[in-house]
Amino acid sequence: MKTIQAEVPDQLYEQARVLIEAGWFRDEGDLFREALRRFLDAHRPSLMEKFIRDDVAWGLGLHGKD
Amino acid sequence: MAKTDRTRPVVCDAGPLIHLDELDSLDLLQGFATVLITPAVWQEVRRHRPTALSRLPRSSEQREPEGVADERLTAIFETFGLGAGDREAVALVREVPGALLLTDDAAVRLVAEQLGIEARGTIGVIIRAIRHGTRTGLAALHTLETLPIRSSLYVRSGLLQEIIALVRQQVERAE
Repeated sequence: MKTIQAEVPDQLYEQARVLIEAGWFRDEGDLFREALRRFLDAHRPSLMEKFIRDDVAWGLGLHGKD
Repeated sequence: MAKTDRTRPVVCDAGPLIHLDELDSLDLLQGFATVLITPAVWQEVRRHRPTALSRLPRSSEQREPEGVADERLTAIFETFGLGAGDREAVALVREVPGALLLTDDAAVRLVAEQLGIEARGTIGVIIRAIRHGTRTGLAALHTLETLPIRSSLYVRSGLLQEIIALVRQQVERAE
C-alpha cells in the first residue's frame, strides 16, 4: 500500500471532514481512496487513449524490435 | 536477457480474447509462447463470448495463480475497482517470469503500470502482426477499419483514424 502525502486547501479538507463525521466514510484514507477511484473512473477514456497510443508504438516496433 | 515476444508467455484478460475473436484474429495469439487464461477470465469469456474459447490457439492453457494477493495488492485492486478476472490475471502475470499481460481495461493497465508489469491491448496485437508477418499490412488495416462495426472494443473515431493513417504510412514506407 502506498502512502500519499498531499496538501489540501482548508476549505476542501473541512468539506471532507463533514462527510467523515456524518458517517459517509470511515476515515480520511477511505474518503481519499473513494475520491481517487471516482476520478480514475471519470478519466478512463483518456487514459485508455494513452495506452492505445503506446500499443500502436509497440505494435509498430518503435519500442525496439522483438 | 529480455525475452522476445515470440518466446514470451502471455496472460490474457477477458477483453482481448473477446475483441480478437470478434475480429477473427484470435490466431494472432499464436505469436506468443503460451497463452495463459485464469479460471475467472475463462468464466467471463464463456459468459460473454463462448465461441472464443473454441478458437484459442493450441498453446493456450488455463492456469490459476498460486499466490494469494497480499494486503498491498488487495488494496491496489480495491482502489482501482478490479473484477475477479482482472485480479487473477494480474496475480498470475506476476508469477510467470517474462510474461506479458493483455488487457483492454484502463484500470488494469494502471495497476500494471503501478506494479511494473508490461501490458498491451488488442490494437497493439493487431499491428504487431504486420511486423511478425502473420498479417499483411492491408489485412491489418482492414481489421482496424472495420473494428467499430465488428468489435465491442470502443476506440474514439478520431483516434482510430489517426492510428490507421499512421499504420498505413508505415506499411507504405516498408513496401
